[in-house]
Amino acid sequence: MEADNDAGIAAISGLDLGEKIGLMYHMRTNGTIVTIRTEVPKENPKIATITDIMPGASFHEREVADLFGVVFQGHPNPARLILPEDWPENLYPLRKDAEIDDVATKCETPCAETVEAQPQGEGTLVNMIVGPQHPALLEPEKFSLKVEGEIVKDVEPRIGYVHRGIEKAAEKRTYLQDVYLVERICGICNSCHAACFVETVEKIMGVTVPPRSQYLRTIILELNRLHSHLLLLGHSGFEIGYETLFQYMWRDREPIMELTELLTGNRVISSAITIGGVRRDLKETHIPKIKTVLASLKKKMDFYKNLYENEPSIKMRTQNVGILTREDAISLSVVGPVARGSGVNMDVRKDEPYDAYGEIPFKLIAYNTGDSWARLMVRLDEIVESINIIDYAVDHLPHGSYRVRVPRIVPAGEAVNRAEAPRGELFYYVKSNGTAYPERVKVRTPTFANIPSFIKIAEGGNIADVPVSFVSLDPCFSCTDR
Amino acid sequence: MILGLDLVFRVLVFPGFTFILFLTMFCDWVERKIEARMQNRVGPSFTGPSGILQPLADFIKLLIKEDIVPSDAKKAAFRFAPILAFSVVVFAICFLPVDGVAIIPNSAFAGDLIFVMALITVANFLLFLSGWASASPYGAIGAARVLTQFLGYDIPLFLLALTPAFLAQSLTITSIAANQYLPFILLAPWAFVLFVITLQAELEKDPFDIPLAESELVGGLETEYCGGKLAFLHLTRDVQIVFGAALVVELFLGGPYGPVFFGLPAFWYSLWFVLKLLTVIVISEYLTCLFARLRIDQVLTVNWKIMLPLSVLTLILTVALATWVYPPVV
Repeated sequence: MEADNDAGIAAISGLDLGEKIGLMYHMRTNGTIVTIRTEVPKENPKIATITDIMPGASFHEREVADLFGVVFQGHPNPARLILPEDWPENLYPLRKDAEIDDVATKCETPCAETVEAQPQGEGTLVNMIVGPQHPALLEPEKFSLKVEGEIVKDVEPRIGYVHRGIEKAAEKRTYLQDVYLVERICGICNSCHAACFVETVEKIMGVTVPPRSQYLRTIILELNRLHSHLLLLGHSGFEIGYETLFQYMWRDREPIMELTELLTGNRVISSAITIGGVRRDLKETHIPKIKTVLASLKKKMDFYKNLYENEPSIKMRTQNVGILTREDAISLSVVGPVARGSGVNMDVRKDEPYDAYGEIPFKLIAYNTGDSWARLMVRLDEIVESINIIDYAVDHLPHGSYRVRVPRIVPAGEAVNRAEAPRGELFYYVKSNGTAYPERVKVRTPTFANIPSFIKIAEGGNIADVPVSFVSLDPCFSCTDR
Repeated sequence: MILGLDLVFRVLVFPGFTFILFLTMFCDWVERKIEARMQNRVGPSFTGPSGILQPLADFIKLLIKEDIVPSDAKKAAFRFAPILAFSVVVFAICFLPVDGVAIIPNSAFAGDLIFVMALITVANFLLFLSGWASASPYGAIGAARVLTQFLGYDIPLFLLALTPAFLAQSLTITSIAANQYLPFILLAPWAFVLFVITLQAELEKDPFDIPLAESELVGGLETEYCGGKLAFLHLTRDVQIVFGAALVVELFLGGPYGPVFFGLPAFWYSLWFVLKLLTVIVISEYLTCLFARLRIDQVLTVNWKIMLPLSVLTLILTVALATWVYPPVV
């Protein structure tokens, strides 16, 4: 294998092996995933950190430390990331022997320092807390900003406010139930989660789904991307105080939601993708409606592109704001539009084509400036590409069955799988023990990989730039926390 | 005695306090409706015909809510600053001729333009004080932004207000308005454009609504306010908008004067005044919908590097051309 300067870390999965804890470092290199396995004893789970060679691994290591109790020696900031501050010590929820049924009673006893020290300003620095409740954040997470005048000096993210233990819950449900569970990780990119999980399971089973269902999945996934990007672009308008843009974008997003409903029966959580195919076929009578809606959206995108490229106040607020250089993007292992905005040509749809992406021609969008504007422009251009993809897929829809029947029991085995969610690379690892229940489901969402870059982006910038540079990452905290 | 009653009526009912209050709420409704239409929404539509009573309903709703004062706040300033700011702006409006003469008759004096502009400065300072006293980082940063922004726009605004004063050869608002046989917007359109843009900053509207940037500062200086005090803060903001628009009407659009067809001139003058006022509000709302919010440093750059030189240039141009283009009415 050739050396790859753009290699990064995709995820670190922990795995309870009884006496030992397995650690898998999933590295992204040359457009594919290479997994490095190691084991640490459960009694004394210690391993050296890799953050010194891969700064992007910081969050991944903290997550494994929280959920499996592995100590990463030499980690620069080994604080809790996912679990609440009052979670009992020595209780690691993803270990198989963890007794989490009575955790509520344990938390009531002062088992950990529950009172968080109220942050105070030091010298001329003022502490400004953004979140867990804040108008700039649609979901609860906390960012402590140290501010001097209007300049941000330091950022400390704290996630975990919407951690629902979905990885643990997935172990207690059958594979089919898990499809609906993982869809609920994120409301916006729900079909991506379903598709990625389903395809991981299909890899373990060795099932090939019929071509028609691959095309139908592609259409649903691209509709998902369309509405997610439109939502984000509208939201970015709101963050820079451009309410008109916000209202326009969300108005134009509405027909896409209606298309999703037409195709899948549901507006938001589509529940259309299932193991072995999709649950509903596309009717011939729907095709004209799809074509008209997409054509009208495509026309509007010209207007928006012109707006983003030429409107002076948008340019003033987004260009040269929140710059993430290509080097930082690689060292922090960011994914998706954030990486593509910094000139990293990375798209799972191109690198490891899944579903019908290998057969459909489309362009990989990348910008080189790495500022908030570039990240927004990537999405703007991707909307046009998505429209083209759906158009092509509808035109070239193969005939035949749209699903195959699969057994409920999955043979023993394991697989990793990736999908390009609207926010970037989505990573799944599933291990099966030969029953109807998975042994382990690991989800690494795109936002989880992108949040560390926010520290880089915000520091040294203006307070007024924090919302716009933050929103240009398209953060989704329900995804992040799972 | 009759004169006294007349004065009380003028000050309290028409064209004084009550009229201004309802005009403010009406303008607020117009603004919301226009903004909604421009953004493809419907805007207020349930309270009263086409939602015209919505601003009144909002005001009353806030008044009956619980009023909490944060324990760390500077109580006196926190309580009185919003009400004082409101009173100061209303007092400033009293110098503007609405139905042909100033609300308090014979109150006009040489230089009341400067006095009225100074009152608005005081009102802004009181708003700063209200945010500063609320002992919240959001309030404090919002308040600091009010002052910073005000440093940027106040001087250009003042210089631009002098253009009509030179054209009319007077510093008295009533005579500036009365001397416009040809509205100054036609004589010096560039000054009008600059004045309206600078006024957007004065009124803290897009693209200059930085002190109220909700995505950064929650509610800016209003963050800690609730109940009646918040109602007055909102009202102050709306009255300021009416005042700003009224100032444009007086300085550039020929004041309340216009053709009188029959009956009382006061009626027609008030009508023209309100119509012109609404025109200015529509323009201002159009600008609001057109732009994104700038950053505080960008506002200062725009004001000091572009608006200030332009307004000085305007002033020089006006002084040079005033007597030639528009001989003073002696």
